[in-house]
Amino acid sequence: MSEHTPLPDAGRGRDLPMARSMCWHCQSEMTGEYFCGRCVKVQPLSKELDYFTCLNLPRKLNLDEQALEETFYALSRSFHPDYYATKDESEKAISLGNTALLNTAYRTLKDPVQRAEYLIRLEAGSAKDIRTSPPADLFDEILELQEDLEEFRSLSAGESDARRQELLEKLQVERQALEARKAQMETRLREQFSRWDALPSDGAVTGQAQKDAVLTGMQEILSNRTYVKNIVNDLVAATSPTGEDGRNIWH
Amino acid sequence: MAYSEKVIDHYNNPRNMGSFKKDEDGVGTGIVGAPECGDVMKLQIKVENETIVDAKFKTFGCGSAIASSSLATEWLKGKTVDEAGQIKNTEIVQELNLPPVKIHCSVLAEDAIKAALNDYKKKADTEDVPEEAATPA
Repeated sequence: MSEHTPLPDAGRGRDLPMARSMCWHCQSEMTGEYFCGRCVKVQPLSKELDYFTCLNLPRKLNLDEQALEETFYALSRSFHPDYYATKDESEKAISLGNTALLNTAYRTLKDPVQRAEYLIRLEAGSAKDIRTSPPADLFDEILELQEDLEEFRSLSAGESDARRQELLEKLQVERQALEARKAQMETRLREQFSRWDALPSDGAVTGQAQKDAVLTGMQEILSNRTYVKNIVNDLVAATSPTGEDGRNIWH
Repeated sequence: MAYSEKVIDHYNNPRNMGSFKKDEDGVGTGIVGAPECGDVMKLQIKVENETIVDAKFKTFGCGSAIASSSLATEWLKGKTVDEAGQIKNTEIVQELNLPPVKIHCSVLAEDAIKAALNDYKKKADTEDVPEEAATPA
């Protein structure tokens, strides 16, 4: 065969879940299986392996949760460090590394918000590349509420009870409104999930522009949701009767 | 995770916390947010004769975001508008010893400075030009 004859698969490398590799132990050629077909040794999961491929799922957002659980448990068992306790050091290390990666993959995909954020990073290179317009109205609203919150925190119970009560009632009303808004955003996010899943999975057919439109839409909802989530958390922490003031500087 | 002493100092004793009235003469306001963590930062400058005579901030977020904006207001005071535009987030990272996961806080502070400067320039431009002349024929 001539060197220049294109392989039938040329240009379709994306269909291969993982690059070809070699078994670290017996050097036989592999195509991304988790265990070597010849010497049966466990193989280290590549750092480049994306979580969907790792868990044998299509890159969809409304995912088959049962399939996710089943694959996760099956792989957990096969990588579990307990089974490698008597093996040599390299196998122990691979078992630990794979288990850690698998756990992260599972946690990320199980949570819808993390799943969407992960997919955006994966598809856009980096979520930060998608710049959504800053929600000026939302910022103004948040700053105003934070100022009320500061005042509320500074008033200790016992003194200025009337003002405290007034602020508390206002903040509780705002909290309910914002919680409803957050729920709305999550509904809109689910709608984007379905739009993404409806795009044809063949890269040639789906234009990048189409993909980007959905990704940007999702990124915008996710960003705004983070701002709303933060202020809701602050409101909950400050206005719940038993709560500490709840500010967390370590996040 | 351990914060550097400088971050803790700015967090415990924030410099220039507060705000100016947005429509006050010579005041530029920048409000920015970090979508990754949901922090919101407001930074304001007060300019007289192209020099920043005062700066204030309000940041609702983590310790590093508060420290970055607090430091930024300190640096802004006394600088000309052009000099202020030269402040880079990497200088904030260096000064505060921010760890890699907190670099975005310094980026937020740089964005806030730029937004405040732009707001100031926009306001200055519309004030300088008489109204008829500002509308294109």
